[in-house]
Amino acid sequence: MKLNKFVISIVMLTCSLHVMAGDSLDIQQSKFERRLERSHNAWLSLIPTHFVIQNAGNMGTLSAGIGWSYGKNRKWETELLVGFIPKHDSSRPKVTTTLKGNYIPWRIDLSKITGKIPEDRWKFAPLTASLYLNTVYGHEFWKSQPGRYPDDYYQFMSTKFRLNVALGERIEFKIPESKRRRHSRIALFYEFSTCDLYIRSMFQSSDVKLKDIIGISIGAKFFTN
Amino acid sequence: MKVMKVELFKYTGKITRTIIGGFLVFLLSSCSGFETHPYDVNIKGEKDINAKNMAIIEKEFANKEELRIAFISDTHLWLSDARDQVEDVNRRNVDFVVHCGDLTDTATEKEYEWSRDVLTGLNCPFVALIGNHDFLGTGNQTYEVMYGACDFSFIASRVKFICLNTNAVEYDYLASVPNFDFMEEQFTKDTDKFDRTVIVMHAAPYSDQFNNNVCKAFRRYLDFAPGLMCCIYGHNHNDTVSDIYGDGLMFYAIDCAKNRNYRIMTIKKDSYEIEQIRY
Repeated sequence: MKLNKFVISIVMLTCSLHVMAGDSLDIQQSKFERRLERSHNAWLSLIPTHFVIQNAGNMGTLSAGIGWSYGKNRKWETELLVGFIPKHDSSRPKVTTTLKGNYIPWRIDLSKITGKIPEDRWKFAPLTASLYLNTVYGHEFWKSQPGRYPDDYYQFMSTKFRLNVALGERIEFKIPESKRRRHSRIALFYEFSTCDLYIRSMFQSSDVKLKDIIGISIGAKFFTN
Repeated sequence: MKVMKVELFKYTGKITRTIIGGFLVFLLSSCSGFETHPYDVNIKGEKDINAKNMAIIEKEFANKEELRIAFISDTHLWLSDARDQVEDVNRRNVDFVVHCGDLTDTATEKEYEWSRDVLTGLNCPFVALIGNHDFLGTGNQTYEVMYGACDFSFIASRVKFICLNTNAVEYDYLASVPNFDFMEEQFTKDTDKFDRTVIVMHAAPYSDQFNNNVCKAFRRYLDFAPGLMCCIYGHNHNDTVSDIYGDGLMFYAIDCAKNRNYRIMTIKKDSYEIEQIRY
């Protein structure tokens, strides 16, 4: 959240600079102003467009974070999440962070199917695809093999970083403009995910079935754009 | 143009429906629940396996004339081979089974559950040692909850089986591995209840996991073991039988599941034999 405040304050500062530059009542933008505007827009794009919360997915019991949705028809999303793993039977609870990329190729306007609901209100995404990198913190986990091991002792990259893939679906609700308070859209999603180690185990053993390595997650996203 | 658009819409509609339908099937058939993390140490199912089974072994085979023990090792992710192995052991009328470590390949919670599922197919009690692979991430914590302490011992037919954690590299040599205090305690405790000793470990002396600075000290310590018969180990994925120190103490390697062989030890009143089983 500190970073968020920092970004917002920088954006506000640059915005105020723009106001001051606007005082010079020149109708035609000068090169400086055009450059400044471009720079404003670049900084503005750093403001997160949504808040996301989800459970499971090999990133903790519960994860929450900020995200940016962008691209044509908002087909792309990038999210930064912090997750929490309870102690369970281990020595202590753990924290994870996740960098997640989502791709939403289609959104179907449900008013075209039922006709009973207003246009553009409910949208259904029949497929979402995600790729995410999870980092778990703790001295038990190493990012690459420590020097005490001979080279290539364990034939996989890291116990700290996990690359995950997920496929899912979501439904989006556009809040009517009169009722908006903090958000403009709300999305509910579920996804099936698995991680690199599990996929590897499936290749190593025919005994490991897809159902053994797939987990389900559910979550919600609150958009401002 | 309009016709084309309609056609296109129909086509995309079909694709979408197929995807949704596919997903529903996927939903029904797959998925093992909410997954927190591969190393979350959230253990479902049976825990504390070694203690439970050692209690059974000590009770049932306390005074058995002839003891038959199967030694298996290094399951890793060769689960179908391990399943065949368990079936083979079940046919051979053994009293109990000792797994010499490497129950998993990357020590994830799931892998621990998979190998436990295979081992619980045994129709006799079993105990398992911790292997170096079982340490990865929080694997050693999972082991301690699912199986128990890394060093343990039990007595059957007046033979003490001392199972030692020898994976020193996993601790970067900072821990008491092998634990000489534990060894001494075992050599001197309950001496009225046993006359002979078998040492079981995952990594043998002079291997890449053993604390090789203490190889000779380890051997000297073994001299205090009452009636030491032999040492049995895993880790190397081969079936070598060797006199590592060149002084007559035999070390029997137990092969990995993939190589489809293991050993059965038969302990008689004043002798023992070790047979290699292929399946």
